Amino acid sequence: MNRRYKMWCALTLLGLAHIVVFFAGFFAPYSYSMQNRNLPYAPPMRIHFFGRQGRFHVRPFVYALKGDSAGLGAYAVDQSREYSVHFFVRGSSYKILDLFESQTHLFGVEAPARLFLLGTDEYGRDQFTRFLYGGQVSLAAGLIAAGLSLLLGVIIGALAGFYGGWIDEILMRAGELFLALPWLYLLFAVRAALPLHIAQWQIFLLLLGVCGVIGWARPARLIRGVVLSAKERNFVIAARTFGASDFYLLRRHVLPQTYGIILTQAALLIPQFILAEVTLTFLGLGVGAPMASWGGLISSLQHYYVLASYWWMFVPALLLIPIFAAYYAIADELQEHLKSVPL
Amino acid sequence: MTNGHANAERRSESASLVEVRGLSKEYVQQKPLTREKFVIRAVENANLTIRRGAITGLLGESGSGKSTLVRCIALIEKQTKGEIWFEGVNAADFQAAELSRLRRGVQIIFQDAASALNPRLTAAAIVMEPLEIQRKGTKSQRRERALELLERVGLSAPWEHKKPLEFSGGQRQRLALARALALEPKLLIFDEALSHLDLASQESMLELLARFKDERQLTYLHVSHDLEMLRNIADEIAVMCEGTIVEQKPTTEIFAHPEHSYTQDLLRAMPPLETICQERFAHESP
Amino acid sequence: MRYVARRLAHAILLLITISLFTFVLLQWTPGNFFDAMRLDPRVSAQTVEGLRSQFGVNQSFIARYARWGRSLMHGGMGYSFSYDTPVAPLLWSRAKNTLLLAGIATLLAWIIAIPIGIWTAARKDGPSDKFFGAGISTLLAIPDLVLFLILLMVAVRTGWFPTGGMISGGFGSFSGWEKIKDIATHFALPAAGLAIVMLPMLVRHIRSAMLEALEAPFIRAARAHGIPRMRVLLRYALPAASNPLISLFGFSIATILSGSAILEVVMSWPGLGPLMVQAILSRDVYVVAGIVMLSSVFLVTGNLLADVMLFVSDPRIRVEQR
Repeated sequence: MNRRYKMWCALTLLGLAHIVVFFAGFFAPYSYSMQNRNLPYAPPMRIHFFGRQGRFHVRPFVYALKGDSAGLGAYAVDQSREYSVHFFVRGSSYKILDLFESQTHLFGVEAPARLFLLGTDEYGRDQFTRFLYGGQVSLAAGLIAAGLSLLLGVIIGALAGFYGGWIDEILMRAGELFLALPWLYLLFAVRAALPLHIAQWQIFLLLLGVCGVIGWARPARLIRGVVLSAKERNFVIAARTFGASDFYLLRRHVLPQTYGIILTQAALLIPQFILAEVTLTFLGLGVGAPMASWGGLISSLQHYYVLASYWWMFVPALLLIPIFAAYYAIADELQEHLKSVPL
Repeated sequence: MTNGHANAERRSESASLVEVRGLSKEYVQQKPLTREKFVIRAVENANLTIRRGAITGLLGESGSGKSTLVRCIALIEKQTKGEIWFEGVNAADFQAAELSRLRRGVQIIFQDAASALNPRLTAAAIVMEPLEIQRKGTKSQRRERALELLERVGLSAPWEHKKPLEFSGGQRQRLALARALALEPKLLIFDEALSHLDLASQESMLELLARFKDERQLTYLHVSHDLEMLRNIADEIAVMCEGTIVEQKPTTEIFAHPEHSYTQDLLRAMPPLETICQERFAHESP
Repeated sequence: MRYVARRLAHAILLLITISLFTFVLLQWTPGNFFDAMRLDPRVSAQTVEGLRSQFGVNQSFIARYARWGRSLMHGGMGYSFSYDTPVAPLLWSRAKNTLLLAGIATLLAWIIAIPIGIWTAARKDGPSDKFFGAGISTLLAIPDLVLFLILLMVAVRTGWFPTGGMISGGFGSFSGWEKIKDIATHFALPAAGLAIVMLPMLVRHIRSAMLEALEAPFIRAARAHGIPRMRVLLRYALPAASNPLISLFGFSIATILSGSAILEVVMSWPGLGPLMVQAILSRDVYVVAGIVMLSSVFLVTGNLLADVMLFVSDPRIRVEQR
């Protein structure tokens, strides 16, 4: 009961996270590249309900920020005017999936006030916005890379397990080779082999491709195991006596046995690849500016002064934790479930 | 005479449905760590005749190679040496398509019914599967036929949507039987299929089988270690020991004049007739 | 013995394949170090050509691979263009630091994980099991990178630990004891970070290995004979659980070089990690290849070691041989 409950919580969390990230344009008040050069490293805005003279406002509001004259560090709050937070406002335009254009944002405030829920970075870019947009890159990276790995893993594992013989030998030796390569370093090495300055989306796709190609070995081995035992089952033999083709056997009887493992592996691989993308970008080897990626957001944390003075830059790193926790909770539950299913 | 003509002639002449000649099956395995190869001889030079319309028993203990032999007969595995003749024609002479047709004509009912049925499919889907694979008829026609078959084995309407795990052991065997009959086979092989059933289920199953045999002119091969059961139902019994057939004779003769020492030992181990009769009557008296 | 020889041959073959693979990968590098040099107006074209032929850059692929392979045999690994020094000594000096850090962290992780694993297995589903289980799950959920950043944050905010590097400024003038203290404070956080990262999986595996061992009938028989619980755990169950644990240990060794890469970069520990990143950014091909090869050697050796130790320790495997 407890674990099941955890899994559904996790799924809901992930579902919400993906939806919000998908519609980042809507949920974020600004565009990810919008800079406010006059407000670098601004702390998160405080949202007030009580105005001057302690009057309660139903609608929350913020104050505008004034950079102090020296232009560094401390920001003063300009209490002269209250800027209400409005919902469903018109703002900068954005596209969903490069197809639908819209200008509606969930919330926003009138210029010149800004609503920085998570503060700004060195260029004055709203961290909250960049976090949402960054999620698009990082989450997508995890999903696509894991999907690729699994696809390759299933195909190779099924072929090796089903046909056995020399096909099995060759494929599993290749798998051993890939498993013996230090995964992270190999990723670095491939990144090294790529020209340093190629288009963003090309880097992105190539990295995903590499992750996928490196990552097939472990799932393939697991799938092969299941296929090996499944193909000896009597109902598969019976189907053979009815004249079933190999393809039919795989499709109808053997591969359905692997669904459990595929899901579990997915729940483990996706966070692994999200982390890979984040790490690479963090080191400056992945997707670069101005595209937001979670790795890029936390890369500034390498600098001493950021860690020392600008605590809000740390929040995106912490926000990763629930996402990972959710994936692992799902993986745990799936593994337990698999153990108890009668094969 | 063309080959086809000769085949047809031979087919109508022979009374034997299946003839196994000098069949051997070897497995080459590797020791797990050192990868040394060693050979397991499951079946060695076995000869068996299955007459059309008869019930043949294949008697032997575990490890005697019965299942392997049977799998070769059903063309699920390829033998290492020897020939299998179907209705007077050597199976090796057949092309792939003919071979496929042949394979459909021989069906095995396995000992563990649960393992032979995909736990995710419903009973109706299971019985429909052979028809689906062979693409016979439309979907609704297939379903009708499946329901018909289920009815014949005594699993009527509400059972069609249930999954194998919801059936009892005996019912599962009947389900497997229904499926096996879907493509109208000529030979049904029961690989210890009745061993795990309780006596009552066994009896009802045997009754069902007897009925089908008459209706559809089927031939049966019962693989079993249960000498008592074979004595009751088989026309001929072949005794198998360590990969080879030591004797094959009509049932009464096997019991009256066993030739091979192994057969003699087996018979000696059986409880005497009086005990069996006593048990039978005790079973039936109120 | 035959078994060991076979595994060894297998490992060597694997390494050769990896070296080929790595080399091929790196030859695809579209730009290389010398292109950048060529663009530099201060360097004459002749010098560049001279350097190119010196490094055999314009030879055929096979020739280059052969050269590299041969030098690998002798312990050389090519030349680092950006550091202007042979790769091998560069790698060794950095690898020493990595091994120091990762070695201690691994030891730490195992020392902590084994008691926890055994304890939670013995008290399965009890309150302490649930407590540690929750703790482990939480730790697992924190991505490595984030954990390292948190530790860095701790260092920065509290000032208890230095925020990077391996040694302080005046290291040369420290006394022997001070030197040790200095290094110790520097690797306290990184080692802790690495150990924390390794801990969850270790504890889980140890726990499940112990659980499996405890299920065995002979354990119950031992208890029935009245053998005290602790003795049963340590003298009977633990050895039975040692098979998967030996493999796990081999795996720990296998990943010892590559596991700490990110940590080293974040905490500025002068190991192989930062070197690798640098090499990639400056397209220093031989360094990259060298590091990949070195890590692979450890990986393959670690696995080989695990296999051999399994063979030696598990009498069942030896009996099957005959």
